[in-house]
Amino acid sequence: MKTAYIMQKEIKESILTPKGFLWYILTSVILSVLSYLFLTNSELSLLDQGEMLYMIMNFITALGVLIGLVFGADSFAGEIERGTIEALFLSPANKTEIAMGKLGAALTNWGITFIISLPYLFVVGKGGQNLLTGIAYLAILGTLLVITFSAFSIGLSARIKSMKNSLIISFFIFLLAGSPIFLSSAQRGTWFGMILDLINPFADAINTFDSVVIDSQGFSYQIGRVAIICGYTFLSLWFLKRSASRLEM
Amino acid sequence: MNYSPVFAASRITVSINPPFIQANMGDKIIYTGMITNNSDKAVNNIIAYISLANVTRGKEEPMDLEDWSANKAIKVDTIPPRGTYEGKWPMRLIDSGSYVAYVMVVDKNDNIPVSSAMSRLEIKRVLRLNPNNVLPVALGEPILLGIVCIFIYFRRKRVK
Repeated sequence: MKTAYIMQKEIKESILTPKGFLWYILTSVILSVLSYLFLTNSELSLLDQGEMLYMIMNFITALGVLIGLVFGADSFAGEIERGTIEALFLSPANKTEIAMGKLGAALTNWGITFIISLPYLFVVGKGGQNLLTGIAYLAILGTLLVITFSAFSIGLSARIKSMKNSLIISFFIFLLAGSPIFLSSAQRGTWFGMILDLINPFADAINTFDSVVIDSQGFSYQIGRVAIICGYTFLSLWFLKRSASRLEM
Repeated sequence: MNYSPVFAASRITVSINPPFIQANMGDKIIYTGMITNNSDKAVNNIIAYISLANVTRGKEEPMDLEDWSANKAIKVDTIPPRGTYEGKWPMRLIDSGSYVAYVMVVDKNDNIPVSSAMSRLEIKRVLRLNPNNVLPVALGEPILLGIVCIFIYFRRKRVK
């Protein structure tokens, strides 16, 4: 399949390289520091296991989304700036298949990040409640968020055709979407904060993690938020398809 | 409401056990409060709660028990005449220092709350080098990924 061929090419060029692997080493170092900090700090180490698990899940999701955004920003704009886009268009794959192949590579990035995170999740959440359920929700919602933000970033890269601008815009979108991590729950408790939380797919994901891991609430409580995230995923994929099909050399 | 301190003092008495605890940071302990109804009438709807004060020199202050104990207050529906109620307060020792713990009982029919004697609590700071056995993962995983990275580097160099 042509999409699979493009995806394989992207993985060989971007992921299975020493430079690409540095991302994973850095991810692992950051998670090591965070886990150790959580578990040894005189106050944080005495947090409930559920709260520590929730906090590290948020961080892993943010990391996955950020890597997806950066990867996406380079996808088409980087090829144009390196002068390799013509060779790509000469391949048997059409533009949509190329875009999907790049999205597949971004998802592979997320998959590797998720696998790297698993030992940290187990060590931080050991003995606590809802560990396996939390990991399942992280896998599903993390994947949906990475698809959403990566597809958007790849589409943006196809439209803007400048890696620097594409990266800056993607980074600002990350700051906006990821703001719930930096704001306290009290600040998000106002009517305006609650509306922002509802329409922000990232906030929907972390509120779902809170609901599942800390409050032990079932899937019925999550349906609305998951539906919103799925909506954004479809919207991003549509944006990617439209942007890729309009791409001209 | 009639002011009757003597009556309030004899109706309910409360004690706390153990009278002294020495433990480490992160340990879990349980305080037991015994509430005795000394009167010939049942007492209803009383509230018993535990309090903690830091008496470490230079750090004297009352403690917010939010992180220490999930159930700070207990509501007792009824204690029969001359009966007793045993309440338990599990606690996680969040920070080191010298503390005193005591149980307060509030009966809305009396205007003076009743307190137990103070129980001394000495908490030692403990250096945790490998909590939850995190070190093998925290050190091992970056090293493992580094080895894989070096392997990929030399493999690509050989192919070229």
